Amino acid sequence: MRMIEIVFHFLQHPRSGGMISSLACLLLLTNAVSANAAPPDVEKSEKQFQSRIKQFITKYCLDCHTGEEAEAGLSLEKFQTRASILEQREAWEKIVKRIQIQSMPPKDAAALPSDKEREEALAWFDDTLYGIDCTGDVNPGRVTIRRLNRNEYNNTIRDLVEIDFEPANNFPSDDVGYGFDNIGDVLSLPPLLMEKYLDAAEQIAEKAIFANTPDSYPWTEIPDKNFEKQGAVNIGKRSASFHSRGTILGTINLQQAGKYEFRITAGQTPAGTEPAKMEVKLDGKLLKTYDVKAGVDVPEKYTLPEAIALPKGKHVLAISFLNDFYDPKGPPKERDRNLYVYDVSYKGPLGQLPADLPASHHKIITCTPGSGRSIHYCAEKILKEFAEQAFRRPVEREEIKPIVELVEATVKSGRSFEQGIQVGVQAVLVSPHFLFRIEGIRNPQRAGSNDVQKMNQYEIAARLSYFLWSSMPDEKLFELAAQGRLDDPRTLQVQVKRMLEDPKSEAFVKNFAGQWLNLRNLEELTPDPKKFRGFNTQLKEDMRQETEEFFSYIMKEDRSVVEFINADYTFMNERLAKFYGNDQVKGEAFQKVNLDKTKRAGLITQASILTLTSNPGRTSPVKRGKWIMENILGTPPPAPPPNVPELEAAAKAKPNATLREQLALHRNIPGCAACHDEMDPLGLGFENFDAIGRWRDKEGKHKIDSSGQLPSGQSFKSPVELIAILEQQKQGFCRSLTEKMLTYAIGRGVEFYDKCAIDEITANFTARGYRFSALVTEIVLSDPFLKRQRGSQND
Amino acid sequence: MTNLLKRRTFLKGIGTTMALPLLEIMQPHQNLLSAATVAGKPPVRTAFIFFPNGVIGPSWMPQTTGKAYQLPKSLKSLENVKSDINVISGLAQINARALGDGAGDHARCASVYLTSVHPTKTSGADIKAGVSVDQVAAQQVGHRTRLPSLELGMVRGRNAGQCDSGYSCAYSSNISWRTPSTPTAKEIVPKLAFERLFGGGAEKEKQRARHMKDRQSILDLVKHDADQLKKQLGKSDQRKIDEYFSSVREIELRIERSTHQEKIKPPEMKLPDGIPSELQEHIRLMYDLLLLAFQTDTTRIATFMVGNAGSNRTYPMVGVNSGHHELSHHQNDEKKMADIQKIDEYLTGQFAYFLDRLKSTPEGNGNLLDNSMICYGSAIGDGNRHTHHDLPIILAGKGGGTIKTGFHHQVKTETPLSNLFVSMLDRAGAPVTSFGDSTGRLTVIDA
Repeated sequence: MRMIEIVFHFLQHPRSGGMISSLACLLLLTNAVSANAAPPDVEKSEKQFQSRIKQFITKYCLDCHTGEEAEAGLSLEKFQTRASILEQREAWEKIVKRIQIQSMPPKDAAALPSDKEREEALAWFDDTLYGIDCTGDVNPGRVTIRRLNRNEYNNTIRDLVEIDFEPANNFPSDDVGYGFDNIGDVLSLPPLLMEKYLDAAEQIAEKAIFANTPDSYPWTEIPDKNFEKQGAVNIGKRSASFHSRGTILGTINLQQAGKYEFRITAGQTPAGTEPAKMEVKLDGKLLKTYDVKAGVDVPEKYTLPEAIALPKGKHVLAISFLNDFYDPKGPPKERDRNLYVYDVSYKGPLGQLPADLPASHHKIITCTPGSGRSIHYCAEKILKEFAEQAFRRPVEREEIKPIVELVEATVKSGRSFEQGIQVGVQAVLVSPHFLFRIEGIRNPQRAGSNDVQKMNQYEIAARLSYFLWSSMPDEKLFELAAQGRLDDPRTLQVQVKRMLEDPKSEAFVKNFAGQWLNLRNLEELTPDPKKFRGFNTQLKEDMRQETEEFFSYIMKEDRSVVEFINADYTFMNERLAKFYGNDQVKGEAFQKVNLDKTKRAGLITQASILTLTSNPGRTSPVKRGKWIMENILGTPPPAPPPNVPELEAAAKAKPNATLREQLALHRNIPGCAACHDEMDPLGLGFENFDAIGRWRDKEGKHKIDSSGQLPSGQSFKSPVELIAILEQQKQGFCRSLTEKMLTYAIGRGVEFYDKCAIDEITANFTARGYRFSALVTEIVLSDPFLKRQRGSQND
Repeated sequence: MTNLLKRRTFLKGIGTTMALPLLEIMQPHQNLLSAATVAGKPPVRTAFIFFPNGVIGPSWMPQTTGKAYQLPKSLKSLENVKSDINVISGLAQINARALGDGAGDHARCASVYLTSVHPTKTSGADIKAGVSVDQVAAQQVGHRTRLPSLELGMVRGRNAGQCDSGYSCAYSSNISWRTPSTPTAKEIVPKLAFERLFGGGAEKEKQRARHMKDRQSILDLVKHDADQLKKQLGKSDQRKIDEYFSSVREIELRIERSTHQEKIKPPEMKLPDGIPSELQEHIRLMYDLLLLAFQTDTTRIATFMVGNAGSNRTYPMVGVNSGHHELSHHQNDEKKMADIQKIDEYLTGQFAYFLDRLKSTPEGNGNLLDNSMICYGSAIGDGNRHTHHDLPIILAGKGGGTIKTGFHHQVKTETPLSNLFVSMLDRAGAPVTSFGDSTGRLTVIDA
């Protein structure tokens, strides 16, 4: 019996943005009765149109929407067949929404349809516009090529060159579509970003590859502690001061034999006729004596004229001041000649690679010219390997020929081989094949064909890795792709499990959970500091981490996703526990904590969610209700109608009303009631939590009343009772989670034809104990993930 | 208190570090101008500044029209420049209305503000607004300066969830659109904006010069890649490659130009890393950068989003601790209206700071403000009702002597804002016959 109520409820207030969701809920419930919805019978549907729907349109719409003078420029008399409706699908989707929220026909129209008539018409439109036959070939959809977003760029660079460096942090923000920042259609590439890509590519190439020119060896300073002194020298923090004759002896311990350069930064205070003389000896052998003319305030760098060949091991560099001078009768400031040595550095071994090269250098430079290997040979070998990683697929020699030629030209112009490779690496890193995830070009395309195509192995590898790691595929995935095993369900299942257990899946928590639950929006919130004194950036950070840890636990421990609604545990560190009034938790690290079951359960009562669904100064039951409808029930309400004046009238009628009373007045307006009848009680049910998520029994003098009744007739007295009701609607939640995760996985919004896939994923993973890994696996095995609609060049 | 002091000393510090080097760069700047302009007249600079959520009309719109009008409460801080600006009331952005698309007035407010085109309602697929007025100008005159245009903002685009009722966040966080489907990204970190304008200091510049030739070869090469790739892709994918291609092309052009344009010595300006935590410091730095960009003639076209559409930011410095958007739906509650008015007044104050600085920067026979046209406003009039007529619009500057200033003009209700844009484009050197829904030119401003 309850099912029918829900069905009725959704029928009466279908939600605009969630057309598919609400419809799907309907279908899901019907599915419980008959396993497969009957395919829509076109003939029957046409008959219904002719017999009833056309009549409905004529009777209730044509009065205003006819001919050239039609209201809103919308004339409807031309729609004479079912097919004509489908030709203008988008227009009709909008019209149907109006009929649903009963803003059309307007209340003051001459004739208004009865509830039965309206429902009948809506049912027909639902079936016609959104009905789809899941038994045949279903369109798997088509994803616009996706540019790497900021997170993906950083992670890909991390895995590609293995240097710890986040170049994308200065990139402009990625725009968001369908709630996520990895949607192909929305990720644009303005010149500002292209400029940053070029800068980043230069920085990456320089950091990852040692240029192997004399200039590229870093100077190593001999530290103070390696110096000994003889005579009148004072070794201070900034410099060694020679007040009279003296010597400093610096010891270095070379790891490699080879040629080294030495450099001394020094200055003098002048006196007498000659400048300070600085003698430099290495291992007792005189190298050079300098006249140090530079002043003490503007010291100069004295570099020994040539590099010295040295065996590995200990060496001693001795620097002496030879010609001390003091004349108390000399001109002021020219009485005392002293020498000051600032830093003593060396570099080398020149011509050999330094011992402490970054790992990335060895990873990329796998071949050096010489001993019969040409520049061309090595450049091609290196860049082919690098491009295959960067483009995430095999690369033909022909394809990288221009890059190899560029490397050769660079080397011919007099730069080192490594510098040439740096330029080649830059070219790869700004190539559209790296910056975009391109699909479909490796399969031969038949002209004008528009059929379904399987993703190729490497495309699947990349889809998997960017879905779960926000990064490029690892060696294992490349290997499986090369073996052609990535369309095998068993292999995919094993890979999903492996990938979720890998630390790189933290990216999935940050990026998917962070956007699904809007956690990222916490950053821009500032609760009123006067009302919430304890609130600070650290607390905000802890709140976010609580929810991330919670999500991560369900993911890694492979729990039931229903625990997102009803878990009796959460995660806290000492600071956050104190905020919640728990003094048992100690330390900085987050740990699993059991909740007080009479007060809190699941995501909804976590401080992060409660804060981001509040206004800066007070709670917002409407925002909380909306959040629950969107994220827990999977039935997002449509946007409010533009009728603020009515609201004002309502507010004026009772100026000192409480929030609860104001909302009640608001619901008296028919256009608002449709959605707020559900949204408001859902939000008000959590009034025991203030705007930053602390428990409260009173607000000011008023005792908090968190009881309420939902349109379905179910009533509750406390937040946990309401959560228990929400838990019963877990099918809707699961479907909504499927829809969001699928959107994130494939990088496009879900379309009406995805209904079949969403139904199947939801049914399969809920049948497997609602397990998290089952959901991810089912998404990966679905058609939208493994196939694509082949597009023509003119689609 | 300490914070306030720190900020003050900081700003003062900037004032002085900036003032001197600016004088130094005046000379090369003049040379550049004479090279770039006909008859030695300084070029006209054009900027569009956007603020979110509309205004409290009665405190923002002057009571009377003409020259003798009084600046109302929210505009009081403009007293110093009153003779250099026009307040224009009565303009409308009709395409920001629902027109059958339902809610989403904030997303439309930003995306229509400078495009005058009704955007396609979508969460992602088929994003489509129009080319914005600043970009129309940049396409015509952008090649004369190092940067064709400059886009500044205060807040990144929102990075999760929905922005406004079924509109992709691209619509709420961008006002400048290069093509109908490509917003021109904005820079929000002062230091990065500075580097974009002037390069990153001597060391970085030297490096950049060394890389310039490599860059040219690389761009040449990847352009060829993109061209090959495009042939193998479907239409929506081709659009993305087109974006790539045109961005590559623009950087190529910039490199070409930089080889025969005179180097501008980068002014010295001490800038914090990242985004300053104090709003006022941040907003003034962005205005300072805008001024520098114009003064050095690094660009002549700019946009600045003081907030993203529908921003719910708080303004504690004027005692407003509730969110801007939340408050804007004041339902005629006096307290809330008073708070919104404070925000309006505060934001005008920051704009006034910018205009004062433009005015005190000499150029040619006058000052920089004389040679500028700065349009300050929003495409929502009354935030409470989400109206898109009676927009709050100020046009500051004399546009190189072509604009008569010092007036409050009340134009016929529902006059398209795009009429003003057509008139501005004439003066920016990028004349068009029409723009968006324009019905003519806004002649009241003519000198």
